[in-house]
Parts: sequence; structure tokens; C-alpha cells
Amino acid sequence: MRFLTMTLTALALGAPAAAETFRWAGQTDPQTLDPHAVSSTPVLGFLNNAYEGLVRRGQDMTIEPALATGWEPIGDGEGWRFTLREGVTFHDGATFDADDVIFSYERASSEQSDVSSWFAPVSRVEKVDQYTVDIFTSAPNPIFPDSIANWMMMDSGWAEENDTARPDKEQGNHATLNANGTGAFRVTGREPGLETTLAPFDDWWGEAEHNITEAIFTPIQNPATAVAALISGDVDMINPVPIQDAERLDAREGVKVIKGIEARVIMLGVGHDHSQLKFGADAGEPNPFQDVRVRRAVAQAISVPAILQTIMRGNAEPASQLVSPAMRGFSEPNAEGVTQDIESARALLDEANYGDGFSFGLKCPNDRYLNDEAVCQAIVSMLAQVGLEAELETMPVRNYWPELREDAFDMFLLGWSPGTFDAEHPIRFLVATPEGNLGTWNFGGFSNDRIDEILPMIQSEIDDTRRQELLDEAAAIIQDEVAYVPLYVQPLVWGARESIELVQRPDDFFILRWVRVN
Amino acid sequence: MLAFVLRRVFQSIIVLLVVGLVAFSMFTFVGDPIDNMLGQERTQADIERLRQQLGLDQPFVVQYWNFLQNAAQGNFGVSYRQGRPVSEILLERAPATLELAAVSALFAMALGIGLGVFTAIRRDGVASNLIMSISLIGVSLPTFLIGILLIWVFAVELSWLPSFGRGEVVQVGGWSTGFLTSSGLKALILPAITLGLYQMTLIMRLVRSEMLEVLRQDYIRFARARGLRERAVNFRHALKNTLVPVITVTGLQLGAIIAFAIITETVFQWPGVGLLFINAIQFVDIPVMAAYLMLISVMFVGINLIVDLLYFAIDPRLRAGRGKGH
Repeated sequence: MRFLTMTLTALALGAPAAAETFRWAGQTDPQTLDPHAVSSTPVLGFLNNAYEGLVRRGQDMTIEPALATGWEPIGDGEGWRFTLREGVTFHDGATFDADDVIFSYERASSEQSDVSSWFAPVSRVEKVDQYTVDIFTSAPNPIFPDSIANWMMMDSGWAEENDTARPDKEQGNHATLNANGTGAFRVTGREPGLETTLAPFDDWWGEAEHNITEAIFTPIQNPATAVAALISGDVDMINPVPIQDAERLDAREGVKVIKGIEARVIMLGVGHDHSQLKFGADAGEPNPFQDVRVRRAVAQAISVPAILQTIMRGNAEPASQLVSPAMRGFSEPNAEGVTQDIESARALLDEANYGDGFSFGLKCPNDRYLNDEAVCQAIVSMLAQVGLEAELETMPVRNYWPELREDAFDMFLLGWSPGTFDAEHPIRFLVATPEGNLGTWNFGGFSNDRIDEILPMIQSEIDDTRRQELLDEAAAIIQDEVAYVPLYVQPLVWGARESIELVQRPDDFFILRWVRVN
Repeated sequence: MLAFVLRRVFQSIIVLLVVGLVAFSMFTFVGDPIDNMLGQERTQADIERLRQQLGLDQPFVVQYWNFLQNAAQGNFGVSYRQGRPVSEILLERAPATLELAAVSALFAMALGIGLGVFTAIRRDGVASNLIMSISLIGVSLPTFLIGILLIWVFAVELSWLPSFGRGEVVQVGGWSTGFLTSSGLKALILPAITLGLYQMTLIMRLVRSEMLEVLRQDYIRFARARGLRERAVNFRHALKNTLVPVITVTGLQLGAIIAFAIITETVFQWPGVGLLFINAIQFVDIPVMAAYLMLISVMFVGINLIVDLLYFAIDPRLRAGRGKGH
């Protein structure tokens, strides 16, 4: 009892926080501050505030100059020449120049790095002078500048001094807990899993658009707690807002909900290279999904608008292909998606001799994508309308990927967010015949000779029109073959205090330098 | 005596080893950490390489053996998620959980004994019936619901208390304490109530029934007959005699409070070892999971061992049974 009165007295003494302090919460803590150790949205998104690359993405995702003031192709597509910005300093006061670029290249492309695949096309990097760097590619690479927006520059002197010349993911090193970039904010405190504080960097080369003097990030895992924290004013912004709470939260005074669409497309995949069904009463040969008519029937049996209306509460957009319209290389001629047509789906199944339907196994994650389990349940009932009996099995994502890798599915749900924001990305990872670096997420083993033939052409085509033609052709093949059944583009729902101005980017990165506290 | 102690210690070690074995056999089902550790652009070769590097390609018994060997040398490995030594992370997080557990236990004891005595003395009063009915809520509502309800009332609607976290903490020689700042104390209230509510109800009901039992005893009647004041009778004579079982139960429950802090810590984003454990499960951070489970089982086994030894000291029958047949 005495303790209670004591604390209640203490409560009255609590002082309110300063107005320019901005607090925000996300569901996961960035697991490291090393910009080359982990390639994931929470890490790269957070570090974009402290570190910078040669180029960066603007509010509309277009590439703009950052630590490079300009870039141009070398010769006939042999590589790219970057002109570096002069007068840039790191947070510790060191000057940024070509040596740091070379060092950051070596560090980021090393075997210990998680982002080394960004540099797979690179053959060598050369310093021309103190503020000019040539990056040579083994084949012409038109989207190279686009693909390195998250390649962040680290000071070579700082790295060597602190014995962190290479990232160390397993054991960690100085760069795991400390950051020294050139970005608009410097990390002033870091307690992993608890709190990370940032302050504006006074010597930043750019013009500050924000008005915050201190920013504090806290991970809040439980969505209900995060919503309560936002309403009570303990934090100024949360990401994400649970979809089912969005409407209620928006109606509340003092807070607002910011909606957009993410870069992630949710789709269904099937086992193209499975000779037999693995689950359900019809397990064994044949595997009906090897027939393109059956795959098309699946696409026609599903009403995406109905899923979006009920499960996503109207917050998402149907997808026609493997990338959203916001991505570079989106195929306009193939923008028309499949609409629900039960009759036609039945006719297709009849034609393929599956008029009586069949049963099979559908695997879904239950904690990876927004409302993923509910979406799969809806799909099960929609497929049942045409006689396709899906046996649904859902599991946490930590069990899901191993299951898919072991080919334990007939049909599965997958979401894909292209790391390069370009239509080539999903072709490389999801559609190309699996081999080496290609088709690494093509669990169903889809294989098409023409796709494999034009992928390298897309990757090295320097002419934009010709490149788009190739991308259009690929998109058409993927649609005709129903390699995947694209469903919708996942929504992005953030919540903030009414007094906060911010920019929501489709890559789900939260950029502090666009925040204004009014 | 020595033989008994040695046997108990030996049994405890066996229990610990079995707990560890069961834990490691379960890790296989928790999932695969590889996908969390490698990015989108990983290849099959990367997956194999990392799996080998972490020793995940070996049977769980071998993994367990390696863990034991390292643990025996005080090395609990490096967290997959944070890339830092597990022992360092656990030490960093322990103060938050221990402070929360201590305050909850205190709250549960103080209020539990107070209300227990009250409801026993006024056993038919309106107030005590009300308390008894309300206390049912404490046992029947799940912890996370109570937590969310408290947040909603005291943080969102009334804005009296913070909705999450630990407030400002002060470092006192490697121990981070929330006891020394007002925001730290404020932050403790809701999680402590949430965590301690169940124990409080338990203690209250225990004290009440023990009190009712004791109040019927002859010596209480004699005490009353001697003309002692009610307060002296109730507190000096009756309560004192109810406390033995209460202390035993509370001691055992302290372990439970620490172990079950997981849910409370998740709801309040309380940065203790429970939250660490939940995060570890989601990431399949095997070194953290293993160390946490071992720590908790050491704690439980330790408490039980102490209780056993205390019984041995207190109860002469245990000693006599071990004697040479007299």
C-alpha cells in the first residue's frame, strides 16, 4: 500500500517531454546498425536516416543524387562514372571521398556481407581522382544506379580504427552497435531491443526539412500496445497499424491513419515441377496444376476485390502482374488482370478433364503478410465453388520457408517486394529456372525457355524502350502461362499524431528528415 | 544428512539435463533461423554454408552436447539475432524482470494478506463478499486481457500512466534500475499489477481460509476471553499462525512470477528476459532460447532444492526415516 501511494506521488512529479522530441515505434528492432550486415526492411529503412549512399530515393521513389552529385555511363555500357559530392563529412568529422567509396565497395561486396549480391554485376571499382569513381560492370547494366540506393557509405578510417573493416553477422563488432554515416541524423544512443536515439547532424551537407531536435525509436511488438501508446501520446507515430484497428483509430481525435500501398505483391504459386499432388485425397499422379488451363481456372475462381473488401477493408489494390504499377518496368499492355469468372473456370476445368474437381494442399504463412491466414481461408472457399478442394495448412513463417524449400506443397502463398523497385527483380528470383543465383525463390520450379533467354537481355539492355518491350514480353508470358496467380498489392498502414507531418514511401522506409512536428 | 543432500543435488542435475534435452529436441520444431538471418538475395549455397557454420545440420543431441560443453565453460554462445554474447544480453535484461517480479510479489503479498485478513474477519460483510467476487476476475481473466484493459483505462482514457516500457532507468554499477526516477516508478505500476494480480488473489484466498481455520482455535477464544483487543487477537495471534503456509506458497510462486512474466512483458513492452525470450522464439534464436530455458529451470530446480532441504531441517520424521532402523 505504501508503495502505491509513493508511486502515485511520484506520478504527479513527472515532467512532460519536450515538443521537438519525436518518438516512434515499429514492430521490430533493427537487429544491427551495420549497413552491410543484414539486408532487411527494418535494418535498411532505419539506417537510411544515419547512413547515405551515392544515390538515394526521393519521396516518389525516384533516384536522386546523394553522396554523388551525378553519374554517367562509361563508354558503351562498360560501367558507370560517379562524381562525388565535395565537402561531405561523416558524423565523427572525417571527410568523405573516393577512398571511402572503394572501401565501402570492398566491405559491402565481401563474403561476410549480406548485400554482396548487389555487386554481382560489378567487375571492378576504380578511383579516378579524389572525387570521381568508376564502377565497371561485366555486362552493360542500365539499372545499376537504381540498384545501389541502399548501398551505404562507411568511413574507411573509422572502420579500421574500430576493427570493423568487414561486417560480422554472427559475432558482431563495433559497427553492430555504433553508426558513423554522413546522414541527416546521427545515432546518439543504442540499446538493442529497447531504445535507439538520434539527433540531427549539424554538419549535414543537405538542407534540413525537418524540425526535430531528438528522435527516439522503440520497438513495440504487441500491436494493441502500440495503438494504445499512440492514442495516449506516448509515441508520435507507429508502423504498422493493424488493419482491423485502422478505421477506429482514424475516427479518434488527435491521431490520423496514413494509408498507401507497399511494393509487395501477394500471389499464389503452384508446384510446376511436381509430377504428383502431395496432399489431399487425390495425392499421387497426376499433378493437375501442370496444366495451364487448371492454373487459369484457379485465377478465374478467385475474386480479389471481394478479398480486399472484406479482409483488407478496402485498403489494397488488385495486382495484374508480379510488380505493382509504382515499380519501374511495370508492363502497361498487361495491366489488365484476371477477373472472377466462375463459368469460364468450370469450363476450363472440364476441358482439362477435371470437371469433378480434385483436392490438394495449400500452404500459407500466418504471421508473414497482413492477414495472410484469413486471405488463404477466403481463397479456400472461393476455390471450392469450382470444385477445387484445398486443404489449408497455415504455420509461422519460421516454419514456412523450410517447408517450401522441401517442396512440401501443392499450392502456396507468396509475397514479393522487389529490392530494386524494378520489374526485372521478380523475374530473376521467382520466374527464372532455378540455378545458382537465379530462381532462388522459385519454389514451384517454373521454367520457360523464352524467359530464361530474355532475362539476361533485360539485365543488359541500355535502351529504355527496348528494355520495356522485353519486360512487356516477359510479363505477357508470365500471364499466359499463369506462372503465378497475382492477387493484390499489400497495403501500408501507419498511424501518427495529428500534429505530425510525414512522408510514407512504398518501400516502408520511414525517413526522419521529412518529419515535421507542428 | 550429507547423503540426502547429495542425492537431492544429483537428482536436480538429472532434471536439468532432461529439461535441456527436451528443449533442444523442440527447437527443431520451432522453425529454421536461416531465413531470418539471410536476406532476400540468399542462394541455396548460402543456406547450406550458414547451416553448417551454426552446426544446425547436426542431430539435436549433438547440438545439445556442444551447448553443454560450452555452457560448462560459461559460454552460452552468441545470439543469432543480435550478434552479441547471450550472457551479456541476459545480464542486461535481468534487472528489468527481477525488479518487476519483486514489485509484483510485494504487491501481491501486501494486498493479498491485507484483504485476506479483512475478508476473514468480516466474512459475511458486503465489502468482503464483493472483494471475493471481484477476486474471481483475477483468477479467471487471462493476463494479457487484464494488461490491455489496464492500459486502456489508465494510459489511454485517463493518461495517468505510460502505456509501455520501463520509463527512465539509472545505471547503478551495471544494474539498470527504474526505482530511482519518477517515470521509472510510474512505468512499474501497471505491469506489476497485471503480473501480481493472480498471485494476489491466490494469497488472499489462502490467508482467508487459514484465518478462518485459526480463528476457530481454542487459543483465539482464550485470547478473546482474556479481554485482548480485537486487533491484537487478529494480527498478533491469528495472522502469525497463518503465515507459515503463506510464506511457503509465496516462495514457490516467486519462481512462477519470473517465469510467467513473459506475457506481461510482451503486453507492456517491458524490456526483460521474458520479452527477450518471445523475440527469440519468433526469430528462432536458439542460443537465447536455450540459455533462457536453462536459466529458468535452474531457478525452479534451485528453489525446489532449497525447499526440500528446509523441510529436511524442519521435519524430524524425514531424518528418522533415513536412520539405522530405530
